[in-house]
Order: sequence, then C-alpha cells, then structure tokens
Amino acid sequence: MMEFEAVIGLEIHVELNCATKLFCDCPNNPGDDPNVNTCPVCLWYPGAAPRLSQAALDKAALLCLGLNAEIQSKSAFDQKVYYYPDLPKGYQLSQAHLPLSRGGWIDITDEDGSVKRLRIHHIHMEEDVAKLVHEMEGRNPISLVDFNRAGAPLVEIVTEPDFRTPHHAMEFLKALRTQVRYVGSSECSMENGTMRADANISIRPKGTSQMNTKVEVKNMNSVRHVGDAIAYEITRQSAAVQAGEPVVLHTRLWDPDKKVTLPMRQKFEGPCVPDPSVPPIELSPDEIEALSKRLPEMPATRAERFVNQHGLSAEESTYLSSDPEVAGYFEELLREGVQPRAALHWLTTQLLPAVRQRRQELSQTPVTPARLAALLSMLAKDEINANAARDVLSSMFDSNDAPAEIVKAKGLAQVSDASALEAMIDQVLAAQAAAVADFKNGQSKAAGFLIGQIMQASGGKANPKVIRDMLTRKLSSVSA
Amino acid sequence: MDSTFFYRNPNRTESPAGKLAGMTVAVQSGIGVAGWPMDPGSDALAGFKAPENAAVVERLQQNGAFLAGLSRSSEFGLGLDAESAAGRAIEQKDARAEIMLDLAGEARLAACRSGIWGFKPTWGLVPKVGIAGLIPSMEACGILAGAPEDIRLILSAVAGPDDRDFSQPAFSYADGSPAGIQPDRITLGVVEEAKASLPGDEQKAFDEELAQLQKAGFKVKMLSWPDYGLCGLVHRIVGSVEASSSAGRYDSVRYGKRAPGAKNWNDMYLQSRGAFFKTLLKSYLIQGAYFQFERYDAYENACRIRARLCKEFSRLFEQVDALVFPVQKPDAPETLEGLYDQFKSTAHANVTGCPALTAAPFAAGGPALQFVGALKDDVRILALGIFLSRTATGGKS
Repeated sequence: MMEFEAVIGLEIHVELNCATKLFCDCPNNPGDDPNVNTCPVCLWYPGAAPRLSQAALDKAALLCLGLNAEIQSKSAFDQKVYYYPDLPKGYQLSQAHLPLSRGGWIDITDEDGSVKRLRIHHIHMEEDVAKLVHEMEGRNPISLVDFNRAGAPLVEIVTEPDFRTPHHAMEFLKALRTQVRYVGSSECSMENGTMRADANISIRPKGTSQMNTKVEVKNMNSVRHVGDAIAYEITRQSAAVQAGEPVVLHTRLWDPDKKVTLPMRQKFEGPCVPDPSVPPIELSPDEIEALSKRLPEMPATRAERFVNQHGLSAEESTYLSSDPEVAGYFEELLREGVQPRAALHWLTTQLLPAVRQRRQELSQTPVTPARLAALLSMLAKDEINANAARDVLSSMFDSNDAPAEIVKAKGLAQVSDASALEAMIDQVLAAQAAAVADFKNGQSKAAGFLIGQIMQASGGKANPKVIRDMLTRKLSSVSA
Repeated sequence: MDSTFFYRNPNRTESPAGKLAGMTVAVQSGIGVAGWPMDPGSDALAGFKAPENAAVVERLQQNGAFLAGLSRSSEFGLGLDAESAAGRAIEQKDARAEIMLDLAGEARLAACRSGIWGFKPTWGLVPKVGIAGLIPSMEACGILAGAPEDIRLILSAVAGPDDRDFSQPAFSYADGSPAGIQPDRITLGVVEEAKASLPGDEQKAFDEELAQLQKAGFKVKMLSWPDYGLCGLVHRIVGSVEASSSAGRYDSVRYGKRAPGAKNWNDMYLQSRGAFFKTLLKSYLIQGAYFQFERYDAYENACRIRARLCKEFSRLFEQVDALVFPVQKPDAPETLEGLYDQFKSTAHANVTGCPALTAAPFAAGGPALQFVGALKDDVRILALGIFLSRTATGGKS
C-alpha cells in the first residue's frame, strides 16, 4: 500500500483589538447589539470615503514584526471583488498584491522533540465583512445583516506549505497566539472568533516533492478542531486516491459534531484590483525601526532568560513565558523579593487555578503580585505554614486586607516557640503510647503519625519543622 | 417635469457673509446635500437621501453660497446623455455656477456646449467625500461658470485637504495674490497629434485661434506626444474597471429599485442590476467586468501605460507653461465608442490628473480651446483664462 504525506498550509485571520474599525471611527465591538456601530463609511453608502486607522496599521505592523516578518516599505489595498450580502459594496478592501509584510517564521517543537521552523509567506491587512444571521419569521426563512463587524480590522497570515501533520498546525497556532498576545495586537481566541484558521491540505506519495490539488477546510473553532479536521482530511484524501478517485479543488466545512468535513457551496469570487481610494502605505526605514523598538521581549527570548537568570527548567520557562500576563506576574513576584521557585510554585499550582475557578483574569484579580508576595514572605519567615498560606490566599480573593491582617484575624500565626510546643508534644506522647512503642520497635512511620497528632492538637498552627526536630530529639532520648 | 433640476432648494436663506456670499450655485444630483435626495440619474439610488453634506457642499455653504438645487445628471455623471442638464442652470440664469463630476471631460464639454467656462482641477485638490463617484482615480469636481473669475473664487473656497478624504494627495491649495499674466513670458504648447486628429477645416480654424493667441503676445510651440492617442484607451480600460467596482455597492437591498420576482438574493442582485442600470452605463460596467475577470493582463498593462503617460505629459511642461488643446462640441452618444470619441480631447487630463480649463471658441466655426496645466498649476491656468476673458482674444463670457 502506498504511503502518503500531507502538504498543509494555513490561512489565519486575526482580528486586531483596536478601539475603532479599519476605515472609520465606529467602535470595533462586533458583539454589541446589532447595527449600533455603523456609519456611512462602514455601511458603504454612496460618497463614503475610507480612512485608514493609524492604530490598526501600528498593531498590524507590530504583529508582523512579532512573527519575524519583514515589513514592506510600500503596501497597498486592493478591491477583492465578490458579491454576497455580507459585503454590500461588492468588494473587500484587502492587500492582495502588495502585502504589509513578507516572510516570517515560527519555531515549534515537533513530536520527536526537535525544533521545526514553519515559514510564513506573507501577512496582509483587510477589513472584515458583515455578519449574516439566518432566522425564521413565522414559516419564512429570513436573512438579517449585522454591520457591527463590517470594517473590523483584520490581518491574514498566510503560511508556506511547510506543515506535514496536524501536530504542526496545532503547535503553530498555539505559538502564533502566544506571540500575537505578546505584542498586544489581538486576543487571538478561536473560541471567541478573534482568530480563524483555514487549512489548505493536499497529499502526495511520501518522499516526493510534487504539489497536488489542495482542498480548503474552514469552520474550525478551536485549535483541537484544526487538528481533527486536518487528520480527517488526510485520511479522506488518502482513501480517495487509493480508490483511484481524483481530488478536486474545492472548499469543505468541518462539522465538529460529526467530526467530518463536508463540501460547501462556493461563493462567487472575482479578481483583486488596486483600490484608488486608500493611498498606498509607505513606511520609511526609520519608521520601521521605530516600530521594531516597540516590540516587547518575545516568549522564546524570555524563556531563555528565565532559564539563565532564575534557574528554571526549559519546560517551566516555556510554560511561564507562553502567557505574557503570567510571565509578567512571575517577574513582579521576583521584584517583590519572592524566590523564583516559590514564585513558580505558588503562581502555577495555587493562584492560577484559583483565578480560573473564579472566572477572573490574572490582570483583574484582587490578589496582586504585591499582596501574594507579602503572603509568601510570611511563609518564608515561618510566620505561617503552607496550609495556613493556602487558607489566607483563598480569603484574599474576598478581602482587601493585608495578608498579615487576615492571618491575625483567623489566628493562623504559626507557633514555633519551643516552650509553647513542649507541653503539647508531651501530652501527645503520653496519649499515644502505642505509637511511641512502634517507633521504638523501628517503625519510623510512627513518627509521621505522631507529628500529625501534634499538628491537630495545635489547631494546625504549630510549625511542622520545629515539631519534627523536637519530636525526633524526645523520641531519641526515650529510646536511648 | 423640471428638465434642469432634479431637486430645487425649497428655502432661500441667503448667507450674509463669506467670499461666495450672494452667489447661487447648482450642484449635480450625485453630490450629497444632507437630507436631500441623492440620485445621479440612476434608479440604483432611488429613494436614497444623503446622510451628510459632501465636503464641497459644506465648503460652498460655509463661504456663503446659496444652493439652487440639484441639477440633472447623466447616469452617475458618465457622459453627457439626453438626461444631463449640465450647464443649463447657468444658461437659464438659475445659477451663476455649477459643480459637477468630471470623469472624462464632462464638465469641460458641458461648458463648451453652453458657451461658458468649464474647469477640472488637479486630481485630489477638491475633496470628493459625499459624492457618488464612479471612477475614483480619474474623476474630479468640475466647476462651470459664465466667468473664470467665479471659477477661481469657488475653487479657492472648496479646494484643500479634508480630514475625511484620505485619497487626497498631500498638498495644499494657495491662491495668494492674483497671478498676473504677461503673455510674452508665457509659452503655450500645442500637441501636434491632437491637432492632427481634427477634421481639415477645424484644423484651419484652430490655427487661426492660435494665431490670435500669438498676436496677443503668447509664444506658441508645437510639440510631439506620440502616445497622445493612448489616453482614451487607457481611460476606457482603467475607468471601466474602477466603475465596475464602484457600482458593485448598488444592490437594491437598502435603497434603489428592486426587480420583482427574484428567487433568492443572488437572483435579486442580478435582476435588479439588469433592470435599473441604463444601457450605456451597463455596457461600461460589463466592459469593466470583462477586464477584471477575463483580461486582467490588459488592465495591468493599461495601468503601466498610464504611469508612462503621466511621466511623458509632465515632461511636456518642461518646455512650455501650458498646453492648448482643441475641443469639439459634444453630442449625446448612445454607445461606448461614441462616448470615448466625445472625450478624445479631454480624457488625457483625467488620465494624468492635470488641471484643464475650457473656453468658448475664439473664432467662428472653430473648436473650443482647452488650456491644460501641469499638476497643481491650477491658479496659473485660471489666471490665463481670466486674462483671455478680459482681452479681445477671450471667448464670450
């Protein structure tokens, strides 16, 4: 049986998080009540004149730079002609001939652990189209148009056909999302529609370099769907070729419920002609240099720095730096004096799950880095133990009091004073003669049991380290 | 039916101040006046009211002009068909001036037809926001008036950058002290190929008109521009492609007449567009769609040739101060061939974006004259017109 390999390229639309639309001053809030964010420009009334948003251009250019692409000194908008009710002027303003940037790449970790570079062909700007809503009015089907989205600023990232597996596509999208979030140009959420990916897939006999007819797959609403749809399509095309059926150029939609791709009806699409109403974008080397200086430290560089400066493992560093907010929070904790390992541990295992559980954003949570650092400082000084710290952390979501006040109010201050613990230990030893006997007979597990009993007797406030030391001394003297 | 105005201003509120105070101006029906119907001779915009003033209207009003109403237009201002009343409001003394789109020479030819002055400014000098245009890279706000002084006055009021018009080139307009014309310091160029395109008797009359200019002191220099004849073809290809895109928004969904009996929305588009566009415009749009979809290579070549024509044209102004072209009076063509035949002596100014002023003929039976300047040389061309209108050489005003 012939073995096939897939040749895959992605076309990814990313909605820029600008305050206004691409060519007018309407708010860029597609989710508002239908048709409230409109004007003669984005309704494309006769005489309306588009005016390119500088903020959108800046965000798009930063996005390009963040993906290692080369900004072009001259780019321009074209009219992509097609007639459909979601596009009432008959053409979409897009950069077909002279895109904003060319080239670019993202490195991913392949399934065998090696680094694979996936190249970007170009990145261009374009406006979004209106949203169609299909409903029933009584027994009649009706179609409604919501223009809130018409003219929303987008960039389209077109990759080279470097991808061979669903893993490549999924890892690329995850890395893309991280890097675009880093530069602050978009939230890149496939679930919320601020990132949409289409995949062009073809297959060929493994080991050959031929390029065969591709099939475009749309309607994947999550990174996982992209992987599933590509995997399905590779299997479908391979079976078709094995059966002697030709692969025909067309577009298919991913059905996430049935987990299959299905052929879709084609939109009528025409050519792209230069648009005379929006002047070409010309950026001087100085302007491009100035934009480059606005680029933040990107995730790969940051991860490397975390390894070198803070002694974290490569895996821990990559995880931390994959989200700019998390990485920023981590660095804030370090600035507040928290040790790197403690910061990593409490941020990833305690704070983030608690924030997610409360459906908060890290940037919005009342547990600021300064407050968490104050709590961890008490823990480091043995003023509280870990159990108490977890308890206090939970309370910090509902109270603006300083951690020390919460500790005081809850009576969670750790007891480390030997004289206060002495009597407590003696009482437990007297009451647990059997366990003491077990210890004498060489059962070391009995010590853990006794520590637990002492902690219980202290109401959880005793310092476990001090107890362990004192208990060890006492039992040794008893056995001697 | 009012054959001159599509809509007359029901109110007459004279503005007491401004450089255009007391001047009554007609604007073409495709130019938006807030709350007025906007219908450039097409059912595609039936029922549509302008949501805001066009920039040019705003500036006219700010400078004290009174809007007489909306003059009737050929469909989307293309050509001068039987519906077009361009120039008539001035002839009938209903207005002292008129603003209309000049896509290939319409404003200038309409002026010739009415025996008045017609001017097309440098492309982009007057903002086009609020005007239902068709050929964005070629069309400009033309100004018609009985006297070139009025054109210059209006231009000084409406020219200059507008924040809403991103397509305007980055230059400003300054009409400082009136530029005096000293004929002996002006060299007028004549493109031999343009003169050769005239019938024999008109060539002779044109020569007589040139002789009058020389008699007035102007130097006249013959120039060759071998590619002159390509201007019409380039305009036809590039213009029709742009028109095809521009007219794409007229889909009969939110305004405009809708053809009945469509099965679905695609069918509704097709039927409505088939029904509401008139034959001439429909031919033009189909031609543009042909170049878009079937002969994109020809369109690209036309764009390249246009860039070359612009360079060649600007080089002519290294030898002369202005060019003089003969212009033949228009008729009302029903075909695209006729349309472009009509514009063969004017389309070059739209292709190159240069300012052009037409004057009534100097000699009986002769062609009207068109003075064309280099880009942004609008003031000098208008000053030349004013000089000619005040001398025996000038056309009637």
